[in-house]
Amino acid sequence: MVSEPREAQVTDRVQPGHFYGAGLPYVGLEHYPGKIIAIEGTDGVGRSTQIRLLREWLEVQGYGVIETGWTRSVLMQPTIDMAKASNTLNKLTFVLLYATDFADRLEEEIIPALKAGFIVLADRYIFTALARARVRGVDRAWLRNLYGFAIAPHLVFYLKLDVDALIKRVLQSGGMDFWESGMDLKLGDDIYESFRTYQAKLLREYNSLGEEFGFRTLDARQSVDRIQKNLRNQIGAFLGANERPASG
Amino acid sequence: MKAATKAGKKKNLLTPTTFSLLHATDFADRLLYKIIPPLKAGMIVLADRYTYTAFARDVARGVDRQWVRDLYGFAARPDLALYFRVPIETSLERLLARRVKLKFYEAGMDMGWSRDVNESFRMFQGKVLDEYDRLVEEFGLEVIDATGGIPDQQRRVRKLVARELERTNG
Ligand SMILES: Nc1ncnc2c1ncn2[C@@H]1O[C@H](COP(=O)(O)OP(=O)(O)OP(=O)(O)O)[C@@H](O)[C@H]1O
Ligand SMILES: [Mg+2]
Repeated sequence: MVSEPREAQVTDRVQPGHFYGAGLPYVGLEHYPGKIIAIEGTDGVGRSTQIRLLREWLEVQGYGVIETGWTRSVLMQPTIDMAKASNTLNKLTFVLLYATDFADRLEEEIIPALKAGFIVLADRYIFTALARARVRGVDRAWLRNLYGFAIAPHLVFYLKLDVDALIKRVLQSGGMDFWESGMDLKLGDDIYESFRTYQAKLLREYNSLGEEFGFRTLDARQSVDRIQKNLRNQIGAFLGANERPASG
Repeated sequence: MKAATKAGKKKNLLTPTTFSLLHATDFADRLLYKIIPPLKAGMIVLADRYTYTAFARDVARGVDRQWVRDLYGFAARPDLALYFRVPIETSLERLLARRVKLKFYEAGMDMGWSRDVNESFRMFQGKVLDEYDRLVEEFGLEVIDATGGIPDQQRRVRKLVARELERTNG
């Protein structure tokens, strides 16, 4: 495939639907009809809202849709919740727990759905885990190898919000928690300052991941409808212009 | 951590990759709390199984050889690694003498190669042993013939340990 000039800078970018690295040698990925569409962005940026609307829109058009979200695996959710509650986790064990959760969902939910021709709407993919781990100083090359079993999504949308807007959104919808504030990084006792510093660092990592992995960036300060319309346009174009419904 | 590994194993829910990752998580926890602090204090750590177990077992299950080695890239390389080698029949006999049932994952039943537990154990552990042979070469594991008597094995172990201590202290 011929890449656009801007994309050509990143020579090692993996084709959508292929493994990023070593993969799962005991799983073949030949010609699965399904697609992975990932929505990324920091906490409270509006991912769930957009995914709910996308799902409705896709299902009306007759697509099979499944949703998958971070730490929602049957295997790992209880453990991750417990570990978070006790604040005893080291950054390394945290990274590995997230990876286990992702692997479980990939093999048990995502791959079967791809085989069956479903559209997988991923509320965060591997990138949130990568951003959080990088902020905590985990080795980048090691992280890339770790997630070498992941499949490159067909589309990755990044809902981008600046720190000021983000803080307001989070405060409106329930407040800051220990992990979202990066309190484990010991950036200071003040939870507001810690949140600010932590989220700013995270945003920098998302931006650099965006270049590395080819995110399609959307301005998350726009209205819900405006963002949704933009998403539908891009996804519609990707899935095939014929099936795109009249805008509304 | 232990809880998820146990729960996953009990329900036989693990794939080769989640099996591998869960054990790596457990290992990371053990490394950070139980291995690194005593090492810093200048103590000797005796580890019953180390990363090599994962390299052999996880690759036998089908994960990528280099991937699992890189996965454990955070682990300290041991000063001395001993590999107690026995033929499959011997390990099967010893296990069966101790308890009635072979464990599901230990026998590689998750691979679905045979419904017969003993047969599955033979097939799976056969692959594990092949991987260990590779590890002996790659990482210079010291092989102990574990078919012999315990005193003989212990004599050899003490000799290897003494030599290592002399090398690093002397
Ligand atoms: N475009 C938008 N403009 C203003 N507010 C929004 C917008 N999108 C979502 N919100 C509001 O922001 C809050 C968080 O939205 P939502 O739950 O969709 O975000 P999220 O990214 O899924 O959050 P989380 O990280 O907690 O899962 C909600 O109260 C929602 O109504
Ligand atoms: Mg959400």
